[in-house]
Amino acid sequence: MSGGLRLALPGGALFEDACRLLSDAGVADIDASRFDRQLKIVTPTATVVKVRPTDVPVYVEMGACDAGIVGKDVLWESPRDCYELVDLRFGACRLVLAAPQGSPLAEGRFPQSLRAATKYPIAARRFFDSLGLAVELIKLHGSVELAPAMGLADCVVDITATGRTLIANHLVEVAEAGRATARLISNQASLKTRSEAVNQLAAALRRTVTAAAAPAAAP
Amino acid sequence: MSALQSPARGRAGGFADWIGAAAQRRRVVTEAFVDTFAAWGYEYLSTPLVEPLETVAAGVGGGLQTQLFRFMDADGSLLALVGERTVSVARVVSTQLQGVRPPLRLCYAGPVLFNRPPLGGRRREAMQAGCELIGHPGLSADAECIAVAAAALERAGVTGVQIDVGHADFVPSLLDSANLDAESRGRVADALRGRDLVAVEDALRGTDAGDAERELLLAFPTLRGGREILDTAGARISAPRPRRVLADLAELWDVLDRHGITASVHLDLGAVRDWDYYTGPTFELFSADLGFPLGAGGRYDRLLAAFGTDAPATGFVLHVDRCCDALLRGSGQDGKVEALRLGYSAGRAGEAPALAARLRQAGVAVALELEPTARHREEPVIEGMARLDDDGAVVWRYRGEEGRGVEALLAAHARGTL
Repeated sequence: MSGGLRLALPGGALFEDACRLLSDAGVADIDASRFDRQLKIVTPTATVVKVRPTDVPVYVEMGACDAGIVGKDVLWESPRDCYELVDLRFGACRLVLAAPQGSPLAEGRFPQSLRAATKYPIAARRFFDSLGLAVELIKLHGSVELAPAMGLADCVVDITATGRTLIANHLVEVAEAGRATARLISNQASLKTRSEAVNQLAAALRRTVTAAAAPAAAP
Repeated sequence: MSALQSPARGRAGGFADWIGAAAQRRRVVTEAFVDTFAAWGYEYLSTPLVEPLETVAAGVGGGLQTQLFRFMDADGSLLALVGERTVSVARVVSTQLQGVRPPLRLCYAGPVLFNRPPLGGRRREAMQAGCELIGHPGLSADAECIAVAAAALERAGVTGVQIDVGHADFVPSLLDSANLDAESRGRVADALRGRDLVAVEDALRGTDAGDAERELLLAFPTLRGGREILDTAGARISAPRPRRVLADLAELWDVLDRHGITASVHLDLGAVRDWDYYTGPTFELFSADLGFPLGAGGRYDRLLAAFGTDAPATGFVLHVDRCCDALLRGSGQDGKVEALRLGYSAGRAGEAPALAARLRQAGVAVALELEPTARHREEPVIEGMARLDDDGAVVWRYRGEEGRGVEALLAAHARGTL
C-alpha cells in the first residue's frame, strides 16, 4: 500500500471545505474540482476517495480507508465502530425539533401523542427519550419539512444551518436536539498499526482548525 | 424460471459458504491454532452452540446482548446462539471441573453468531479459537496467554503481527484519581467507551480535573510505545492506583521479554476495552493488512464468580476468519493443495489401490480414479495426475514442492522398488 494513508471524504456540503482543510494542513494537496472526473486520487502523501457522506463510516470501519471526514450528524445515525478523533469545526449545523406555527407544540405544550418525521431516527429517539416523551417516529429520506403541512406528522426533527428552510415552511423551532460539526474518524486497527501517521494527521488537522478559529475568537 | 428467481437458492446475509482454497485455509488455520494451544498444554474442550440467554448475558456487555440470535426453549425460557465461547468455558469450569486443581489450561474452537443487521459488511457467523487460563492471578499467566496467541498466529503463517498490551484499570484509575464529579466522570467514561475522543474533550472542558490526569486522558491515542512510555506516564502521575497499573505493566513487559516477543509488543495505555468485564492486563493483535483486530484477550477475574466459582482467569480469542483474510491479503495466493488423481489402465487396476495407499502413507493426498482410464497416445497426462499404463510405465505430472516427493515414489513404483 503506497501513497500514505487512505482517506475518505464526504461528497456534498462538506466536500469543498474538507478538501481545503487537507490542503491547508499540508496533508494532501487536492483540488475539489479534480473529483469531478474521478472518485479516487492518489497523491504522494495520501490516497483520497470521495464517497457519499453516509458511506464514510462504512469505508473507515471496514478498514477500506484508514481515516475519514464526516459530519457528526452522519455518525449519530451510523453506530459503527470507529474512533472519533478531532472536531474539525466546519460544517456546523443543529438538529432541532420544529413544529408548525400556531400549533400547541410550537407554543411549548407537548401533546399526549406526537408523530415526528425525521431523517435522523436514532438521534431523535435519544432526544425524545431524554425528555421522557413517547413519540412515534416516521423515517423519511428527504423534504422532511413537508410532512406536517401534509398531515403526515405533527412535527419534524431535522438539521438546520440557517433556519431559512424552517421559516419558508412555516415551522418554528421548539428545542435543540443536538449540534453537529465535521469530525475526523479513524479505523480502530489503523490507529494502532499506523498510529504515527494517523496521529500526525489528527495533529495537523487540529492545528489548522485551531489556527483558523483563533482570529475570530480573539477580542 | 431463471436461477436468479429461484426462491430456494438464497443465502442469509452475513453468512458464507466456504469452498475450495478458502475452506481449506479456514480449516488449516483453525488446526494451526488448536495444535499450538495443545503444544502449550491447553486441553481442548467443546461446548454447545446454544446457551441459556442468562448464561451468555453474564459474559458479554449490555451492548452486545442485542446482537445475539435469541429464541425460545420448549419451556418458554430464552436461549441464545453463542456470540463468544469464554462464558461457556466459565460455566464448564464452575460446574464440571470444580474439583480440578488449578491452574486449568483449556482451549476451544468453534463458530459464534451475531445477529447484526445484514448488508453492513460484517460477518454474522465467525470461527473463533481461544484459550482460557484459569486459577492463577499472576502476570506470568497473562504473559503466557499473549505468548500463546503470538505463537498460534506465527504457526498459522500470519506475519507482521502487532500486539497491543494495555490494562483495564489504567483509565478507570486515572478517572478516579482525577478530580471529577460523578457526572463528568460518567460522561468521560461513556465517551471513551464510545471511542469518541471529541466527547472526552468536551466532557473534560470546564471540569477541574487534575492537570496531569486531564492531559493523559486527552493524549489518549498517543499513549503507546515500548517500556519507556511507562516512565513517561509515571513521571506525571502520583496517585497510587494508576502507578500500580504502570508497575504491573512493567513487570508484564519483563515476562514477555523472557518469552522473546517484545519486538512486536506495543504498550497501549489508552486501550479502551470493556472495563466491566476485564480486570487486569488486556491485549489486542493486529495485522497491517486488516482493519479489524485478529484477536483479543485479557484478565477477567470477576466472570467465574457469576457462576459461583471465585477464581482468577485470563484468556484470549483468535478470529479465524479475519486471520484468513490477513493471510490472503498478505500473500495474495490461495495455496490450495489439490489431491493427486491416480488413473490406471484396465490391466493394472489390481495394483492401483495399493499404490494409492502407499502414497497416502507418505502423506500425499490421492484421489483414485473410479474407472480404468483409456490411454490416448496423443493426449498428455494432465497436471496433477498420474497413470499406470499397460506397458509398465507410470506417467505422471505433479506440481509443487510435494511433486518431487511424489515423483520419487512413482519412479520407485515403476522400478518395482517401492
